[in-house]
Amino acid sequence: MPRTSTSWRTRAGAFANGLLTVPALAVYVGLLVVPVGFAVYYSFTDYNGFPSRTPTWVGLENYRRIADDPIGDLHPSVWVTVAIAVVGTLLVNAAALGLALLLRRTTPFNTFARVVMFYPHVLSALIVGFLWQAILGPQGAVNNILGGWGQSTLPFLADPQWALATLIAVIVWAQFGVQLVLYLAGLQAVSPDLKESARIDGAGGGQVFRHVTWPALAPTVTVTLVTTVLSLLKVYDVVLGLTNGGPGDATQNWAYEILAVSFANNDIGLACAQAVLLVLVAGLLSFTIIVLRRRAEEGAESLG
Amino acid sequence: MTSKRTFRTAARVTVVAVLSAAMLVPMYIMVVNAFKPQQEILLSPLGIDFATASTEYLEAAWQSTSFPVVEGYAVSLFLVLACNAVAIGTAVPAAYAIARTPKLLFRILLMFFVAGMFVPAQIILVPAVFVLKSLGLMGTLPGLVLFMSATMIPFTLFVFSAYIRMLPRSLDEAASIDGAGRQRILWTIIFPLMRPIVATAFILNALGAWNDFVSPQLILGPGSEFRTITTGVYAAVSTYSTNYEIVFPTLLLAVAPILLIFVVMQRHIMGGLSAGAVKG
Repeated sequence: MPRTSTSWRTRAGAFANGLLTVPALAVYVGLLVVPVGFAVYYSFTDYNGFPSRTPTWVGLENYRRIADDPIGDLHPSVWVTVAIAVVGTLLVNAAALGLALLLRRTTPFNTFARVVMFYPHVLSALIVGFLWQAILGPQGAVNNILGGWGQSTLPFLADPQWALATLIAVIVWAQFGVQLVLYLAGLQAVSPDLKESARIDGAGGGQVFRHVTWPALAPTVTVTLVTTVLSLLKVYDVVLGLTNGGPGDATQNWAYEILAVSFANNDIGLACAQAVLLVLVAGLLSFTIIVLRRRAEEGAESLG
Repeated sequence: MTSKRTFRTAARVTVVAVLSAAMLVPMYIMVVNAFKPQQEILLSPLGIDFATASTEYLEAAWQSTSFPVVEGYAVSLFLVLACNAVAIGTAVPAAYAIARTPKLLFRILLMFFVAGMFVPAQIILVPAVFVLKSLGLMGTLPGLVLFMSATMIPFTLFVFSAYIRMLPRSLDEAASIDGAGRQRILWTIIFPLMRPIVATAFILNALGAWNDFVSPQLILGPGSEFRTITTGVYAAVSTYSTNYEIVFPTLLLAVAPILLIFVVMQRHIMGGLSAGAVKG
């Protein structure tokens, strides 16, 4: 052990190092951890957010309201959120993995295609929503073309079920490019020797994928699944731009309920209870995926 | 065998070409329709008649009072730079301390920071508004910068500490034998070596800050004198969403520069993303 390194291990050294973390801690705790604490506290109160009023303690009343759902608006939003998170995650990852396999070799054509698949990510989700609304709306480009051909128009954003499907499709359009880049990076790590020897042993394309490429991609799959689920659980901007939650409440997801309904109605207690639940679900889901995927990743390590 | 392979390649190229075209159609529609009057947009959304095409709609969008384009760009750019300055400036020393101190307390500290990556920023914005109010920072740019930086710190710090762990300790030790203090070692020896990971974090944070809509909308407030690109577009478009003479030119003005930057920097942006994911 080099002698100078002892200075890092002494109590004084550790204290001096601790000081280095203070600025980051101050910003992080002050504006992220304390708000989480506030959210937990407000979630047990009735509070309209006005400075003149103080929050009144109501215990579990807000959580009971979410569970009982007297106005019947919260439970539909749970289903919208689940549909977006589950269907969206599957579609995003299927599209991203499929295209990553098609575009894995670096040729000028493939590089161009990767850029084209990725570019929606640099646009803000709100703008993506507005743009697709102008294309798919009742007066939008697609319906005008259909009308010009003498066809009947399609209710992309006017029918509740169509609107939810359209919303998911637009989210997939905007998001799979990011995961595509991650899958491409993961494919770089697949050992070419292993694939070559599998092929020499007589494995076909499908078999090579199943027994060599897919296991080796395991760590990448974990990262893409967690990041997709986390980002799809909280989508808000694209909903606001594309459907504004409509028609009716057909595309109002949990984040929309928090920001555009509860918070907008000054129902801070309810908004915070909803926020606490979403943070818990997001954390729990990520944790579950990571734990479930760990076995697959261990398989990948023994393979590599 | 060869004919089978040629067929496969042809099929692959066709699928990719069709998909690429599908990805680009929305951009084509947006650009073409930014130069047309409402009636023509409705009649022929895909075509453009150069006899009637005009830049007057773009000019009108440029002069729109609800979305001052130049100021919007200035504010968004300021947010990108200021948030990165705060997030990277605080994360570098903290990550260094965490990576170099072999004590349990510092490992717990790292996990405490990492937990923040799983907290959706826009969801925690509602209570954050009350924290900012009590600090007197509600409705101000410093308040907005602090909140957005706080949401960037977990990821930034996490990738930084993983990167610093890969840098040999002997560097620090040699410098400390030469009499350099902690801050000196950190900023003159370690920080310059962190350039690749700092660039990665900068790019990812910049994209997040540039595209953030909820934080500026809620913290600055809809009536604020400061408008970002996103809150400006919202103010200009949301109430006129079927007036395509306003929608398409406004969207074009909002996305053209960022798309240009992306095309020029695409290698760095997409490379940064995969680098960040591999480290994360």
